[in-house]
Amino acid sequence: MKRTMGWNLTLAAGLGFFVALVGLPFWWVVSGSFKLPQEIIARVPTMFPQSFTWQHYDKLLSSSDYGTYLVNSVFVSGLSAFLTLLLAIPAGYAFFRLEFRGRETWYRVILLAYAFPSIVVLIPLFTMFAKAGLVDTRLALIIVNVAFALPFAIWMLRSFFGSIPREIEEAARLDGGPPLTVLRRIMIPLTAPGIAAVAIFAFVTSWTEYVFASVMILSDAKRTIPVGFSGIIGQYQVDWGLLLAGASLAILPVVIVFALIGRWFVTGLTEGAVK
Amino acid sequence: MKTPIRMLLAGSMLAIPAQVFAAPVEVTLWHMEQPPHRVERIQMLIDEFNAANPDITVSQEPQNWGEIYAKAPAALAAGTGPDMLFAIPDFAPILKEMGALTSLADFVAELDAEHDFVDSTVEAYSYDDGVWAVPLYNMTLNLWYRKSVFEEAGIDVPASWDEWRAAAETLTADGRFGMGLPANKQLYTDQTVYSVMVNGGASELYNEDGTLRFDNPETVAAYDFYNSMMEFSPPDATSWTWGEAEACFASASCGMVMQFTVISTYENQAEGDAADLGVAAIPTKDGSDDNATIAYANAVMLLSQEEAEREASKAFIRFLLQPENYGRFLNMEPGLFMPVTADGAEADSFWNDPVVQEYREQIETVIANGQNGKLFGFTSGRVFPAIAAISAQNVLAETLQSVVVSDMAPAEAVTAGQARMEDLSR
Amino acid sequence: MARNPILALAFVAPALLFLAAILAWPLVSAFLLSLQNVRGVGTSGQWVGFENYRFILTNGAFWDSAGLSLAWVLANAVLQTLLALAAALILHQKFPGVRVARTWIILTWIVPTVVVVMIWRWLFSTSGGMINPLMMQAGITDRPIGFFATPESAFATLVFINSWRWFPFIALMMLAGLTRIPSELYEAARIDGAGPVRRFTRITWPLLAPTLTVLLIIGTLLSFNVFDIIWLMTQGGPAGGTRTLPVLIYETAFRSYRMSEAATIAVLSTLLLMTFAIVATRSLARSGDER
Repeated sequence: MKRTMGWNLTLAAGLGFFVALVGLPFWWVVSGSFKLPQEIIARVPTMFPQSFTWQHYDKLLSSSDYGTYLVNSVFVSGLSAFLTLLLAIPAGYAFFRLEFRGRETWYRVILLAYAFPSIVVLIPLFTMFAKAGLVDTRLALIIVNVAFALPFAIWMLRSFFGSIPREIEEAARLDGGPPLTVLRRIMIPLTAPGIAAVAIFAFVTSWTEYVFASVMILSDAKRTIPVGFSGIIGQYQVDWGLLLAGASLAILPVVIVFALIGRWFVTGLTEGAVK
Repeated sequence: MKTPIRMLLAGSMLAIPAQVFAAPVEVTLWHMEQPPHRVERIQMLIDEFNAANPDITVSQEPQNWGEIYAKAPAALAAGTGPDMLFAIPDFAPILKEMGALTSLADFVAELDAEHDFVDSTVEAYSYDDGVWAVPLYNMTLNLWYRKSVFEEAGIDVPASWDEWRAAAETLTADGRFGMGLPANKQLYTDQTVYSVMVNGGASELYNEDGTLRFDNPETVAAYDFYNSMMEFSPPDATSWTWGEAEACFASASCGMVMQFTVISTYENQAEGDAADLGVAAIPTKDGSDDNATIAYANAVMLLSQEEAEREASKAFIRFLLQPENYGRFLNMEPGLFMPVTADGAEADSFWNDPVVQEYREQIETVIANGQNGKLFGFTSGRVFPAIAAISAQNVLAETLQSVVVSDMAPAEAVTAGQARMEDLSR
Repeated sequence: MARNPILALAFVAPALLFLAAILAWPLVSAFLLSLQNVRGVGTSGQWVGFENYRFILTNGAFWDSAGLSLAWVLANAVLQTLLALAAALILHQKFPGVRVARTWIILTWIVPTVVVVMIWRWLFSTSGGMINPLMMQAGITDRPIGFFATPESAFATLVFINSWRWFPFIALMMLAGLTRIPSELYEAARIDGAGPVRRFTRITWPLLAPTLTVLLIIGTLLSFNVFDIIWLMTQGGPAGGTRTLPVLIYETAFRSYRMSEAATIAVLSTLLLMTFAIVATRSLARSGDER
């Protein structure tokens, strides 16, 4: 496919715009985290660091439990993603394939879950969890996160199942496979990229969640990264260097994860099923 | 936090004193001093206390001021709250309304006899025939500047509002702002606004009978003056909290700021030249020298209902206020937290800190300025429960925003502010 | 295929029951709370019937916030759709590094919201922030701008920050829609002599529309409920300029200590959103049937 010069220029300009829009803030944060304090708050900020120091990272890692927060975040997000899939795959398949009364209605009811302002849920849920002994447990966060991710996950999965050619599925069914086997043997492997994308969606939803994590968790040892991060912002003083280092370290794990599996997320979203 | 087994233990301890040594009483402390180095310092003191008191085990869980207003009541209602919780004056009434507090008048009297509290710090927690928390550290706003900058601009430390404005105007030059003043709907702005109010004869929010007297000419004059200073403050001041003001001062973008302290930021993130750092009392309207300021005393509340846990908590508080420990506790943030006791203000443990030593002159000024400290809604014994909502909604700051952001006339904004306070008291 | 209700139940029920357990009780309890006059969390109150509804509905603050919420949802929808569509169209092209670009555009979405808030708070500040000096160097302004100084600019800045966080995700969802459009259609159109604009309006847009509609519905619900970014950034200020309904709910509950009034606003917001969602999904189902 040939493109004209003008078109190429437009494309390059657009690309440049988005690279700057997404990339620059991160460059400033990460490069800032290596600057000396004086340079960070200087009246004329520098695009490229004029100084270099590890002091903010030193301080962060020596005096706060960042490692613990990280482990908690990975644990909560990982399990949330897993449980979301466990509930969403059968539901997504059923909404796509199985026929039952009120299928469309129920499908829409699930999306209605997003019509609740999550703030509404906060206090009643706290009371409910307190009665069940779940306050200050990571399980409480997992439950909340799954509830947040589930409706969208079901919606995405249904459309991924929908992209599988009917003939493949029917062939499997004619061979006498019950739906569960068809789902397990045929549909899940075929939609693996889509399922991976949904898992990443659920993971990120829970990775970034702040309000519930900050209220439901009482003890420091069970905090997740976002709450731990907000903790290094003192009430009366701001140590910008420490904040930038904290921000960089909060970004780092997902960046690593994305460097490894990010490609699948995109292909999963765009293709959904193995063609 | 209190498992049934532990409650059983607590109960059995009361019944059979011999069992006391068998299981240590466990008490939890929630505080909002979350930055890592503060947590570390508190842990150090806790470890010492636990080692010296084998029958008690104290543990801490740092929390965030942002969520504690929702979290503490929810946790208490659900029975998962702490035994000790740090407080600021407007936070205590909320828990008191819930019925979570019992008066600590006797305990505070005992500590007062031993250490002699600064009166205003106890006053902020004394109302409804009780004292609801034990003051722990004091914070007062002061005017911070660089001596060299004043010298260069040829100005003296301002004593009156007119001089203050003139100084701010002179200092506003070459990309620098003369006076960094916040206008955010946030606690910091409440504090700065009130500090101007108390120096303009508008310290009382209430009449003796509990009716509001916020809407008066002195208040209006204070808002008018504050508003006139805003043109010398950076344009993002409407979103400022303490940190931005400090950063503005540290980067020399602000000539003066009104702050509890700038010492540790100045020391660590700016030039750190103690001889050049100036601190003064907040100017009075007419230039007289009876300067006042806001005194924001932080305190600790006891939330446990069990006698054993309450006694254990009290033992820990007694330990903290001992002069040999108290200074180290305050210096979890050197230069920010000021002593609330007379013997604490003289304690070696306080003055021995290297940063405190370096800035001794400034800190002595801050302590002296704090002698005439007041807090809105907690003055002259005229304290009424609605002050909690008035504080939490930052009505003083909200009123300022009406003037600064919405261009309302000060008199009109103050009238609206009082109406808002009345609405919140309903 | 034969109807098999038991199997369907076994597949769908866990997800439905889970959502019901987490969401139904809180909604019921919010409704019950809205009929009382409870103030602080954990205190008790008396039953007052629909008194709170009368009070809230005649209260200017509620309608101001409802208006802001509407503006918030619309502004976010417009900005995010524009940014995302542009990004998706670019990422749909073939150029060196397109794979890398497709993966890393998502960076803004995988960062915790607290971190997003801190990043932009810092960048927009006048002490150490990058944006103001950059704009002054570029000659756009000769004096630092207070991005959160007026209600309007604070609102616009927040819309920008929220859209910055969400647009890449939506762009990828759109890209997914784009890649499902058979390339034969474009070939055929090109042979017929259709230019890029025509190809976009005749092929891309109509075929992308169904995906867009669903995204728009879910996006509307999600962005209506955005709370953390606004609260952490401006607490609804200045002068109430960013106090959308979720912020008002939080403020009423935990700053004014009127739990029942907060619950009332919450119930009203939920009704509002439910109505929107039902109408929107119904029209969606109808257009789906036509296809």
